[in-house]
Amino acid sequence: MPRRGAPLSAEAIQVRSLTELDLDGIVRIGEKTRNRYEPDLWEGRVTYYLRRAPEGSLVAEVDGEVAGFMLGDVRSGEFGIEEQCGWIEVMGVDPEFAGRGVGRALAEEMLRRYAARGVRKVRTMVDSSMPEVEAFFTRLGFAADTLRSYRMDLDMSPVPGRD
Amino acid sequence: MATTTTEIPRKFHQAVEKWRDTYLPDFAYLMENWDRYFPRDDKFRLCAYRECGMPCSIECGEDQGKPKYTRACDMKPEAAHHLVSAIRAQASTEFGSIQQHQLTLARAQDEEEQAMVLRMMAEELRHGYQMLHLLTDDDWQPITGQTQEQTVEEILSMKTGSHVLGAFNIDFESFVDNIVFCALIDRVGKYQLTLQKVSAYSPMADSMPQMLREEAFHLATGVVPLRRWVVKAAAGSPMITMEVIQKHLNKWVPRAYEMFGDERGGATNVKWGLKPMKNAESQDQYAKECAKVVRDLNMRYLRARLPELTLAEAEEGLAALERDRGTFRGVKFDDLLRLPHREYGRRRGVPAFRWIGVDGETFESVEAYLSHLTRTLPDGYRATRDFQDFVDNLRAVARGEKTADEAQKAMPQLRRVGGVCPCSKSVRWVADEAIELPSSAVGA
Repeated sequence: MPRRGAPLSAEAIQVRSLTELDLDGIVRIGEKTRNRYEPDLWEGRVTYYLRRAPEGSLVAEVDGEVAGFMLGDVRSGEFGIEEQCGWIEVMGVDPEFAGRGVGRALAEEMLRRYAARGVRKVRTMVDSSMPEVEAFFTRLGFAADTLRSYRMDLDMSPVPGRD
Repeated sequence: MATTTTEIPRKFHQAVEKWRDTYLPDFAYLMENWDRYFPRDDKFRLCAYRECGMPCSIECGEDQGKPKYTRACDMKPEAAHHLVSAIRAQASTEFGSIQQHQLTLARAQDEEEQAMVLRMMAEELRHGYQMLHLLTDDDWQPITGQTQEQTVEEILSMKTGSHVLGAFNIDFESFVDNIVFCALIDRVGKYQLTLQKVSAYSPMADSMPQMLREEAFHLATGVVPLRRWVVKAAAGSPMITMEVIQKHLNKWVPRAYEMFGDERGGATNVKWGLKPMKNAESQDQYAKECAKVVRDLNMRYLRARLPELTLAEAEEGLAALERDRGTFRGVKFDDLLRLPHREYGRRRGVPAFRWIGVDGETFESVEAYLSHLTRTLPDGYRATRDFQDFVDNLRAVARGEKTADEAQKAMPQLRRVGGVCPCSKSVRWVADEAIELPSSAVGA
């Protein structure tokens, strides 16, 4: 289990816009939290978010190292939501900094930036199998929405009579 | 993040479109395929952006705290002259980089990488347009002595060889140049834009945020393909090797350092509130950032060579390679990339024409140094006139025929010289005048 230290002061956590230089730090956090080394995946994602709006995605640095990241975007027209809506889509915190205020610092800055852009609603989706993430967003003030995620698993077995 | 958008006067706007049709012929293809390559993204628009809500007071220099200037005529004449030179140089680099990228755009091996570069070129066009907006939205004639028409024509008629800064006068030889240029030279651009974001001339400061947003993608356009290329190199791809990437770093890094201007300069910009940092300080930060790019590429390479490593083992392995310069599980230090020494291959600034190698090593004679350059630069680049002139000046300095200061001012420029024959828009090298660089340069 990673060591958990005391909460960091606000001054110790530097939150800033995402850059391409953060790729290695993000890949590292992804590897620590998912137990998978996936540089291709993160290169694609970081390029996407930089292309969309580099100020809309954030990283948190502690002592010059990437300690967490939050990728998001402002969009409209999806799932019947016509108004401009801020989405928090991907986040990660280095396990060494879990519970030390890094996620909160990222979220607060993200919400501040969304508000500055005139966004009135911010959404995210949380897997209920990850109660700590759900609790994190609840503490920030997020509440369950009427919009729900539905899923259907397709039967991939061969269809009789077809090649 | 509120912005206003505007277009420059119609005749100038049309001139830029005409320029685009000539030097960015794939623009129509980009527009037709925008949704395919960049779904969800707002379509490109040729216009000038101004950020709202920027600071109204001068942020550095002797007039710090006073209101920013909204008109050039309210500035001190010297400061305004300095500023207009910087805007003109910035415009030159934006248009110049498109001319360079176009040369080898079609040689990309990967469609996605090509599309990214093409979008980046369109955005550089917009950056040049933004500078023309600054030059045509204010009255600079008392400072420059030129009409707006003359200024715009002068900028749009520049070609590779006649641009203000050296890095924009070097022809690309392959798509490796496109990508390394984005990763290194656009990075200088990011620094310059960041510095200019505090400009005492508010139209300049207000122009920077949108340019910086776009520049962030340009840097990814360089770094992400490089990360993928080192993986191919690790797999023994015949298409790209670490040696080829290294030689292109050696080609471009010295030019990037020089774009910051002479290491001794930049104080005037700070004094007048046009930039918050002197040249050497900016160059230092840039060097640290490039070192991180190189280290990250090496980590990506090492893990591709040794996929069985855990994260901790890879970090230890790379640290050991950097420390001992030996071998780690079959990977040699020499297999990795390295950032060329700050004084390697320099033709401007404090280290101009010194015999310093890629790793900072020194040489006993100019011929020994030339032999080192032969081994460390791309073959295609060594066959260019640009390199030949560097070699000629290097030898002249070694023989005592010129001082290093004289030699750096004597590097000839490529010019396209018209004539009576319709096909005579040919390239000639002209060494009849010294090149005057602004005390602090700019970048794409």
